[in-house]
Amino acid sequence: MSTPTTDGAETSEGGPTADRSRNSYLGEVWVNFKRWNLKAVRNPFVLIVSLVQPVIFLVLFTQVFGNVAGGAIGGPGGGGPSYETYLVPAIAVQVAIAAAATSGVGLVNDIENGMFEKVLVSPMSRSAVFLGKTAAELLRIAIQIGIILGLGVLLGAEVGTGMAGAVGIVAVGIVFSLWFIGFSNSLAVLTKDQESTIIGANLLQFPLLFLSSAFLPLEVLPEWIQTVAAVNPVTYGVDAARSLMLNADAASVFSASGFGTVGNAVVPAMAVLLVLALVFGGVAVAMIRRASSSKVQ
Amino acid sequence: MTEYAIDASGIELTYSDGTEAVRGVDLQVPSGEFYGFLGPNGAGKTTTIKTLATLLTPTAGEIRVNGFDVVSESRKIRESIGYMAQETSVDEELTARENIRFACESYGVPRDDRAGRIDELLDLVDLQDVADKRADDFSGGMKKRLDAATALVHEPPLVFLDEPTTGLDPKARNRLWDYFREINDDGTTIFLTTQYLEEADQLCERIGVVLDGQIVASGSPSGLKRRVGGEILDVNIADSDSERAAEIASRADLFEPDASVEVTEDGVMVTSQHARQAGTDLLVALRDAGIDVTGFNVRAPTLDDVFLAITGEPVEHETPTDETELEVSP
Repeated sequence: MSTPTTDGAETSEGGPTADRSRNSYLGEVWVNFKRWNLKAVRNPFVLIVSLVQPVIFLVLFTQVFGNVAGGAIGGPGGGGPSYETYLVPAIAVQVAIAAAATSGVGLVNDIENGMFEKVLVSPMSRSAVFLGKTAAELLRIAIQIGIILGLGVLLGAEVGTGMAGAVGIVAVGIVFSLWFIGFSNSLAVLTKDQESTIIGANLLQFPLLFLSSAFLPLEVLPEWIQTVAAVNPVTYGVDAARSLMLNADAASVFSASGFGTVGNAVVPAMAVLLVLALVFGGVAVAMIRRASSSKVQ
Repeated sequence: MTEYAIDASGIELTYSDGTEAVRGVDLQVPSGEFYGFLGPNGAGKTTTIKTLATLLTPTAGEIRVNGFDVVSESRKIRESIGYMAQETSVDEELTARENIRFACESYGVPRDDRAGRIDELLDLVDLQDVADKRADDFSGGMKKRLDAATALVHEPPLVFLDEPTTGLDPKARNRLWDYFREINDDGTTIFLTTQYLEEADQLCERIGVVLDGQIVASGSPSGLKRRVGGEILDVNIADSDSERAAEIASRADLFEPDASVEVTEDGVMVTSQHARQAGTDLLVALRDAGIDVTGFNVRAPTLDDVFLAITGEPVEHETPTDETELEVSP
């Protein structure tokens, strides 16, 4: 990774001390990005914990359900993909959820130990502060999805679109995680409590995953689950990642046309996820802004 | 450099729940002064300091800090002030050095100056030995010192300290006081809030006493204590002879005519410039009158006494309003 310069353009000499404070906007993002990465490295527990459950799912599901589920997806016998290949994109999305769920915990922690206020009273741009923090979390998610993809390949999964597709799956995971990062931070501001934040976000993890196209094709699931799955963001994330994995249009709700086989599934799914990201991100930003100006009339 | 580090008139701040935390405060703090804002919990000290530090937007008032307007030039103010919150604010997952480095980067201290500045500050707060240890192992006093160091990275001409020694043992407190004096001697203006008259007395050139969101008295520490009228002699009386004891204490020949005598729950309280010298005379007089004295104590005036003298009523030790928390109303 290259090292952008931290202190911006000018380092004016001679003036009163107040004039020395000049960071470029990107410099400020970088300062906060570094801090959160350092904290992640200091606290590898969080990193590992948010990987453990998805890894357990990946191994157990493929071993326990592999043969049965293989039939439902028209598995290797029927000319379809192996269950490993089918499942890895879903686990990638699960990793994104688990990691994004911890985003709010970092915020609560900062509010509790005073760093939130400390940053607010500094001359740094507030959006740069949160951009830096989010960027560090996205980097973590990218690395974790990379680990899952590697593990999946070791277990026999195949990425149909090759290296470029693998990068695409990481990108899908990152775009997918945005709405959940927004959700987690909103929970954080609302509850101001680490446990409530993590429990609240984790409670949603299972219903979100199981009521989606993550583990089995929607056609073989009960009708009410199909209905819920159609409006479940996880379905869109999984479908996009799965299309890249299978090098096919794996959209279970709707496909576009004119973007190529894979693109027809990926493009509309990404559009849905980006809109969600804007909505949830907007709510989180509004709530953080209210929290940072306290309750003044 | 501006003549006044803080020049404010009519600061008002009302929270959205209707609490009028600050009700018309005027402040003129000349550059270089060590100014103290003294008052009990819930008096509006933290709200005032947060308003001056641009963390809260005032409901009304004309406020300039380092010559900049708090509303329209808040970023310029943030660049030119140091702020130490009431709650210790350090990132415990980072080392002392990393905490100070993050602060340097936050304030845009030029890259070439950083290492030197970090060492200088580690020396100033005596944390050089533990510079590369994580802050979660630090004692309360060490964390406070680290917090203070991070507020000084950009050599701000004005520093806000919000009850910086609350909860510290006397040794740690004295050490912090030394640092604050040192910074002030170097020309830094300091605005400090405190609940303790002793702290204000030790550090500040001038004090504003704040109560219910208003400044009720201001002046030098000695001037304020003079308003209390000297030292205080508490005498505990066994039975319900307090009224008689008060009569005896009020006799003009015992204390100076300016002495004030009050009946308290346990006996009498005499405030006088000569409490120490005339105390023995009073005790003898009480014994001669057959009043059973169970205890006595001569002490310097406390904040409570200053309030009593200034406002005529004792400080209500109510539960503090939750003004230090960043809260979102539901």
